[in-house]
Amino acid sequence: MKKIFLVFGLIAPAVLFGQLDRSIKPTPAKAPTINIKDSEVFTTENGITVILSENHKLPKVAFNLVMGNNPIPEGNKAGLSDLTGSLIMSGTTSRTKDVLDNEIDYIGATLNASKNNLFLSCLTKHMDKGLNIMSDVLMNANFPQTEFDRVKKQTESSLMTAKSDPGTMADNAERVVNFPNHPYGENMTEATLGNITLEDVNAYYRAIFTPQGSYLVVVGDITKEQVTKMVAQYFGAWKGNPAIMLPMGKGQFNQGNRVIFVKKPGAVQSVIQVSFPMDIVTGDKNQLPLNVLNGIFGGGGFGTRLMQNLREDKAYTYGCYSSLNVTENGSWLSIGGNFRNAVTDSAITQILFELDNITKGTVKDEELNLTKSSMAGGFARSLERPQTIAQFALNIIKNKLSKDYYQTYLQRLDAITKEDVLAMAKQYFTAQNCNIVVVGNEEVLERLKQFDADGRIELLDAFGQEVKDVKKADISKEKLIENYLLSVSNSTSMKEFGKKMKKVKAYEEKFELTMAQIPFPLTATKIWMTPNMEGQKIEGQGMVLQKTYFDGKAGASSSMQTGKVEMTAEELTAKTKSFGLFPEMNFATSGITYEIVGIENVKGVDAYVLKSNDGTAETFDYFDAKTFLKMKSLTIRKEGDQTSESGVNYSDYKAVEGFMFPHAMEMNMGGAVFSGKATTITLNGKVDLNSFK
Amino acid sequence: MKKLFFSGILATVAFGTQAQKKIDYVEYDLPNGIHVILHEEHATPIVAVSILYHVGSKNEKTDKTGFAHFFEHLLFEGSKNIERGKYSEMVEKNGGALNANTSQDRTYYFEILPSNQLELGLWLESERLLHAKVENTGIETQRSVVKEEKRQRVDNQPYASFITEMFKRMFTVHPYNWVPIGSMEHLNAAQEEDYVNFYKTFYVPSNATLSIAGDLNIEETKKWIQKYFASVPKGQAINLMRDFENNTDADFEKKYGIAKSKFNAKDFMASTSPEAKKIIAQYAAKAIDIPRPKKDTEKLTGVVKDIVYDNIQLPAIFVGYKFPEQTHPDIYALDMLNEVLSGGSSSRMNKTIVEKKEMAVQAFSFNYGLEDAGVGIIAAIAANGVNLDSIQKEFDAQIDLMKTTLISQEEFEKVRNSFENNLVSSNASVAGIAENLADNHVYYGSASRVNTQLAGYLKVTREDIQRVAQKYFTQDARVILHYLPKEK
Repeated sequence: MKKIFLVFGLIAPAVLFGQLDRSIKPTPAKAPTINIKDSEVFTTENGITVILSENHKLPKVAFNLVMGNNPIPEGNKAGLSDLTGSLIMSGTTSRTKDVLDNEIDYIGATLNASKNNLFLSCLTKHMDKGLNIMSDVLMNANFPQTEFDRVKKQTESSLMTAKSDPGTMADNAERVVNFPNHPYGENMTEATLGNITLEDVNAYYRAIFTPQGSYLVVVGDITKEQVTKMVAQYFGAWKGNPAIMLPMGKGQFNQGNRVIFVKKPGAVQSVIQVSFPMDIVTGDKNQLPLNVLNGIFGGGGFGTRLMQNLREDKAYTYGCYSSLNVTENGSWLSIGGNFRNAVTDSAITQILFELDNITKGTVKDEELNLTKSSMAGGFARSLERPQTIAQFALNIIKNKLSKDYYQTYLQRLDAITKEDVLAMAKQYFTAQNCNIVVVGNEEVLERLKQFDADGRIELLDAFGQEVKDVKKADISKEKLIENYLLSVSNSTSMKEFGKKMKKVKAYEEKFELTMAQIPFPLTATKIWMTPNMEGQKIEGQGMVLQKTYFDGKAGASSSMQTGKVEMTAEELTAKTKSFGLFPEMNFATSGITYEIVGIENVKGVDAYVLKSNDGTAETFDYFDAKTFLKMKSLTIRKEGDQTSESGVNYSDYKAVEGFMFPHAMEMNMGGAVFSGKATTITLNGKVDLNSFK
Repeated sequence: MKKLFFSGILATVAFGTQAQKKIDYVEYDLPNGIHVILHEEHATPIVAVSILYHVGSKNEKTDKTGFAHFFEHLLFEGSKNIERGKYSEMVEKNGGALNANTSQDRTYYFEILPSNQLELGLWLESERLLHAKVENTGIETQRSVVKEEKRQRVDNQPYASFITEMFKRMFTVHPYNWVPIGSMEHLNAAQEEDYVNFYKTFYVPSNATLSIAGDLNIEETKKWIQKYFASVPKGQAINLMRDFENNTDADFEKKYGIAKSKFNAKDFMASTSPEAKKIIAQYAAKAIDIPRPKKDTEKLTGVVKDIVYDNIQLPAIFVGYKFPEQTHPDIYALDMLNEVLSGGSSSRMNKTIVEKKEMAVQAFSFNYGLEDAGVGIIAAIAANGVNLDSIQKEFDAQIDLMKTTLISQEEFEKVRNSFENNLVSSNASVAGIAENLADNHVYYGSASRVNTQLAGYLKVTREDIQRVAQKYFTQDARVILHYLPKEK
């Protein structure tokens, strides 16, 4: 008998479907080793850093030529870089666009261009022909007027489609609110596209497409010897200036949550994007632990906190993700997804809950392990693409990472603890200072107010621009001015206002101005004396940079660049039309033309808009419809064909001897933005116009 | 700037397979009918495990549309041995990625894992096949998720309904009449039992192709497949086992006339009692009849012209023609014809309609190729202010030209080169290889087509291209859809 048992014992494991216990999860085999081949890196005489990642799996090769510049601000020509990118393939001095397209397609290659790169991919056997075309485009792109006109028109049509794509609309708004006065926050609109000329395109191309600081990333079925030869042959003669590297800000950090709404009539879902900027750049030691945090939070997969809560538990959405964007020039976190109209507010509540919750305590071991394993797996999978290896080499150089950054990636990832993750959440995450962008049906709007710190929802359009929704004014221009004057003087009647004004003989304000691009503060001083004298000056580092005066009869402005320039007859006339501490009090009699435009929504607040023209410029003043205090002033001046715009936003109104004056302002002078805080505001003090002359 | 509005769609219908690089593989059938395909390559230490179930929306009943796609969601909910919510987690926790997709013809599941986790992938897929959780909790959750998916991918996306609108008019008999996302009303109305029946009909070994590619050892992999998949019951025995696991003692005995206690609860197929072995054998011998629709034979009899109002800014036009099924020999020539019309910047439609005449911001043509039929679609998004009828005229002029004049030798060479490049570029990833092998086996009857597809294209002549233009671009039988902005 014993024998038989033994036989059974021997046979059982060999029985094909004998006693398989399916409840036991298989154990993994020994972990495979991961090898990352080093890329070849060398620099050419004209300044190109060449990175080669050889891979002979397929008979193909790709050349990606990336420029070394930072993004540059485009202001009222936003979209110039993109438009230039779409025009690079428009032909060269020796090939028309038709010839170019045909030659590329003929060898089955891909050659495309963007605002800062040219990319070629082809079979290795067609490499010579491909590079010949690529270098021709690079050095001889000739931007024909006809193509410029055509692509501009087509881009105009494409811009219209942005208005029907809720994802694009949300991205546009998100960039604008997180990155005001930063290239990231600039969106091409129909207006900015209209401002771009062919000369702008040519100038941009010459400035940006330069060998100095550029990278040529070569991947595929090619040897170092071949690359060296090809680079010399096709890119050796390429010349240009140093790459443009402008410093830029890190985005705008909020105080309190802002809700930004973009209308999409007929939407059945709301696109929600909750975002905030982060103070970190690529290569920072916190980048990897921050990635782990984001992975646990909502960075990918089904097991994240966002997915588990909003999809698996509540079924509000098909997917809710957070994306961490860390760049050299500005970083931000964006959390979002598409949610049906009825749960829009509930979804925001849950997103904010999760944001807050993850800063409250350490994550669970399983979550940490899940994310670390999933990142390690993602890292391993990414190595299948030869482009990855080249990208690693490029990142090491661009972001000044240590040479073994990717070789040690898995060890560093493994060493990250729950405490590290919590520290990241506390340092970078916020549920209180977010920009909550919602693109959707107007029916959801009312329920979003609860999330806005001041209960005022800002309306933006498809391109992230303020919505100018003008309603008809319900009061006359005279009544508006009267309410304004009563409000600034804390008076209950015009008689009282008149009495108070009689006592005001002189006024002086000093503001400290700061600007991102200027390292030192500036002081702006403004004086006024009865009946009609005024002076303004800006000083910095002990020097007067600019000053202006008007003594009632004559005036002049001086600056270090222009010297002293006397006021023209038109300017002097203008001074007689708009004068006084509160010029509006004299509008009825001064001869200025003025009218009420209507009621507009400015940053969530209804404002009366008053338009006036003193003969030199048109000014739009915005008065809060509830308090009647002046919120902002926008002046448009025409000089020949050009118009220049300058704007001031006023806030922080405080009483000074019975009058309300703004103690904070933000000035925008043709794209340059200054923030100002009042240091002193004095009524009836001693003032002297001479220092302004 | 997003330029290619339809890149996603084009990518999915682009040529599924092929490379000059020869793909080596082994294939065999398990006795229960599972077809196995294995491709070994060691460049990266990862492996792709996939199962293709030959069920898509075309296998659905007219009053139960959306089921195939719904199952794609449901089958991530867990199984008898995998807790709800743990299926994906287990893959992610072990450094893998997973996903699935559903077409009119198939449902495809895959994991990409570090190669030392191959056995895990096999276990997971065998669990999904054997006894996935098809029950109300999961059904309720996934119903809402699918509704959100529809809102996001179809209802809220400009022009995204064009496939639905086109197929509805193109197929009035064949179940291509509806698209995989299906009807939310049908999903709402369906009961747990309907879902269980769908699972029992289509998720069976004889309907499955297991395709694995990557850093694997063929012999070792075969052993594991033997372990996890050979034990999957054959024929109706799988449903006997599922009932054994899900039914109460009383229900089971009532249905089968045998007590559950007669079976081995831990390993059903290893049951040793003679009664159990008998009934297992009896059910294993019963083949499962998988309902498949008849090939589409419906001819369009005239021009169907309709307007669709959508949340869009620029009007668009979509013209559809009946094309043959994807396995038809004419498909090679039709693909090349589409390449002449709209492949690359130098293509005819781009040069004339977009660049020279500036009538459209984008113009393209492609074959939506399927198992039982195809739809050739020519489309354009109008430039601002351009009338759709004038674009239609331009389309027709291009088609006439294809019908009346042979393409030039140079253009012909260009198209051939472009196919060579495309086919070399496919099969760059192990996940792609696994999928291509499975597709070719299921649709073309042979995985070997991964190595012969280019030859198929290179056989096409200029005359073939002209001939298929004449044959399939039937101007008196087509569907024309105008997409116009909804009144605000």
